[in-house]
Amino acid sequence: MLDAIIRTLGSTAGAHDWSVQQAEKRQTQYYVIGSSIENSRRVHSERYLVTIMNDHPARDGSSQARGQAEVSILPGDLPDLQARLAQAVFMASLTDNPPYTLAGPVDYPSVPMADTEIQAAPRELAEHTVEQLLDSLKRERGVRLSSAEVFIEDSRIAFRNSAGAQGGKQETGLLLDFVLLAAGDGDEMESHVALQRRRHADLDVPAVLARHVQYARDALVARMPRTGTFPVVISDEALAELLMSEGHSPLLLRSSAQAKYQRISPWEVGQTVLPESLSGDEITIYSNSLLPFGARSGSFDNEGHPGRRTLILENGVLRAFWAPQRYAQYLNIPATGAFGNLELKPGSQPFSTLVQGEAPFYHVVSFSAMSPDPITGDFVGEIRLGYEVCDGGTHPIRGGSISGNLYAALAKARLSRETAFLGDYLGPRAMLFEAITVAGA
Amino acid sequence: MEWNRVPTRLQEANNQLPSLVREMEKRVSYAHVLLSRNSGLQITLDDREQKVTDVEPSQGIVLSAWNGNYFEEMAASDLNKSRLSSMARELASSLQPAPGADLDPGPPLQRHWATQQQKDPTLMSPRDKLSLCQDLHQRTRSLDPHIVNVQVRYSERCESRAFASRTRLLSQNVLRLSLILLVVVTDGQRVQYDWLSKEGTGGLELLDITDLELRDLCSRAVALLTAEKVAPGMYDVVCSPDVSGVIAHEAFGHGVELDMFLKDRARSRQYLGKAIASPLVTIVDDPSYPGGHGTYFFDDEGQVASPTYIIRDGVFNQGLSDMYSSHRLSMPHTANGRRESYQRKGYVRMSNTFFARGATSLDDLIAGVGHGIYLNKTSSGMEDPKGWGMQVTSQYGEEIRNGKLTGRLFAPVGITGYVPDILQSVCAVGDDFVLSGGTCGKGHKEWVPVSSGGPHLRLKARLG
Repeated sequence: MLDAIIRTLGSTAGAHDWSVQQAEKRQTQYYVIGSSIENSRRVHSERYLVTIMNDHPARDGSSQARGQAEVSILPGDLPDLQARLAQAVFMASLTDNPPYTLAGPVDYPSVPMADTEIQAAPRELAEHTVEQLLDSLKRERGVRLSSAEVFIEDSRIAFRNSAGAQGGKQETGLLLDFVLLAAGDGDEMESHVALQRRRHADLDVPAVLARHVQYARDALVARMPRTGTFPVVISDEALAELLMSEGHSPLLLRSSAQAKYQRISPWEVGQTVLPESLSGDEITIYSNSLLPFGARSGSFDNEGHPGRRTLILENGVLRAFWAPQRYAQYLNIPATGAFGNLELKPGSQPFSTLVQGEAPFYHVVSFSAMSPDPITGDFVGEIRLGYEVCDGGTHPIRGGSISGNLYAALAKARLSRETAFLGDYLGPRAMLFEAITVAGA
Repeated sequence: MEWNRVPTRLQEANNQLPSLVREMEKRVSYAHVLLSRNSGLQITLDDREQKVTDVEPSQGIVLSAWNGNYFEEMAASDLNKSRLSSMARELASSLQPAPGADLDPGPPLQRHWATQQQKDPTLMSPRDKLSLCQDLHQRTRSLDPHIVNVQVRYSERCESRAFASRTRLLSQNVLRLSLILLVVVTDGQRVQYDWLSKEGTGGLELLDITDLELRDLCSRAVALLTAEKVAPGMYDVVCSPDVSGVIAHEAFGHGVELDMFLKDRARSRQYLGKAIASPLVTIVDDPSYPGGHGTYFFDDEGQVASPTYIIRDGVFNQGLSDMYSSHRLSMPHTANGRRESYQRKGYVRMSNTFFARGATSLDDLIAGVGHGIYLNKTSSGMEDPKGWGMQVTSQYGEEIRNGKLTGRLFAPVGITGYVPDILQSVCAVGDDFVLSGGTCGKGHKEWVPVSSGGPHLRLKARLG
């Protein structure tokens, strides 16, 4: 079908440039409540995302303009193919954008993205993962499995464009989502975790389980934090959520060439972008698409740019915008392709030092949700679980919230020496923020 | 009604659905099939870019077979006739039926529904729709010198579903529209923004935006450049309908989805039939609400839409369910079994969730506050059905002093608290009613269109 689409594109009037991405996916989904199966699913999907560029005189008479439209071709659409592509050309012809060219042919780097263990026996792996959870929990008094979901995905992606770029890649993915319930004194509390990895070996189920067993137990005795401004340590998944926000991070938005072109990002290359002078550790960030088995890694991106590692921030100074080819040409800067995984340079202090600082302070390990505003960087997050360290003691907390501005907070942050790889984040396991507003009792 | 025309190949697949059910029911006591197709148009434009394109289409089929204990499912994007037949045979032959109670397929019903509308968007060309968006952009762009960009996003989605079981053959075409206007402003130092959105099921009549609304939007975005941080603490609060709705949805709605009962994740279960909120509070979920962004005619398990009174006069009356949870719990089956797409399992999900209207005017709600905050617009929210904590982030709050708004703004404002405390603190309910649309996830995934809202509310909450 890919060849048929490309042949038809070649004879479609007005399709001056194009790209096609074929994605075929097989999924195994396995759902458990307690120790009983709730649902079991097998899914097969296939689609072809066609992007068409049409060149035409700009309506304001200024120069030549380019319009772009996408159309997804599904199995069974072949009889309508010509009409669907012609409709996409028509839609592309309606809009006037400055012209740009497509990424041409290059040798793509090899980036491991497919786990042979996942590919070999997905259903068995899903069952094994749940059995592993249930077996481990037998040794944990008062803690049980509420529910678990295992999604296993095996994808094949092919890419071609009219500038001659072409590539293929295989990817796997595994999502483990589970909830633990801890019982005590007539009450129950939960700990919920959702982990997405490309390789089964990166899950480390026993370690994650042990941590969340403790979190569920601690939630039973947690109290509300105090109100005020305190040093706050944020660690592991909670830190990755704050910094990466499932790809909607303020750090990604402000460092994107598209946001710069749209005048949404005020950042300038060569300038310090954090609002206060750096008094904490060095903040150095890379976009890294070459990280083996990274959630946002790839030998090429959706537009055919090769995967790469790009220095974005160096000690708080913007060194480069990440830029797909179109926006790179608009701003006359080098093209880097899509943002990959967030790689943050680790700090110099051991984790144990960060969490043994001068009391009182808080250590947050889980938010209800933490999505800093991508435009302003402001954040507010309810504390699902954390710890209050004061007067020589540590006590679990939950409820209330922390708030602040991500850029201001990063300017005064201490970073742990130990690193964590959490799907789309590789960096310090924990950060200590000097002064964060806590709304509590 | 161009959008309501079923493509020939999809119609062929529709016709095949009953035979697929029969094939599976050779092996099991109950099976159903859901065929879905989404299509439509999307226009985005701002100061520097324009795009007109298809919405990402989704088309596929799910075969669901009850093996006595749980559903086993196969799903695929390929609707080829022989492929579907072999899928049904493959699923049936792989099943290991276990003794268990049969599912109730419901009374016989055969019917088609379609969204009612006044101005059919599909009768307007993409070029004319682009012109409307450009006009809206130009009307907004010149309103204030602080504006650095104005984004307009128009989306029309035609969502077709066909469902078959041995007693039901149902189909629906739902037309879901949305228009979002985002204004980004700067004073040279700070960047801020505000937005206006109109959405629902229906036609272009849903999307009218007045000049007054545009002026309010721009002046508020500029005012947010000097917004302060709210001092953390407990406040008397007046919530806009948008904030009220997210409280209904996040604080209470998620905790009464009955799959949470099955998983022992819902603290609300111990309050069934008991007072949980102020007697002024009634909360409803209604997938049949006309024009709501979460509206549909039947859910993804063929249950016909109707309202559920979750809280009535402060008492927790009834939860929301799908076929599996209502069967397991022997509780009423409501029309809340929904899927993100054929690629995902169905869960118990909300639709249009709202506080019922009260009797107090907005002026009186504000006049009753000595020192407090008027909260407007929500940017996010998250549920916690077990701990019954609540997190809602409001785009901004405005100070109330001696019963009057002062113009002093705080942004953003986090609202947290213990759900029963918040619901019991409701001391007045407005006489107005507005629904706002959006999408809702189960945890951090499984996105479906919903709306939430109601009237203004006066209550106490912890802000930070």
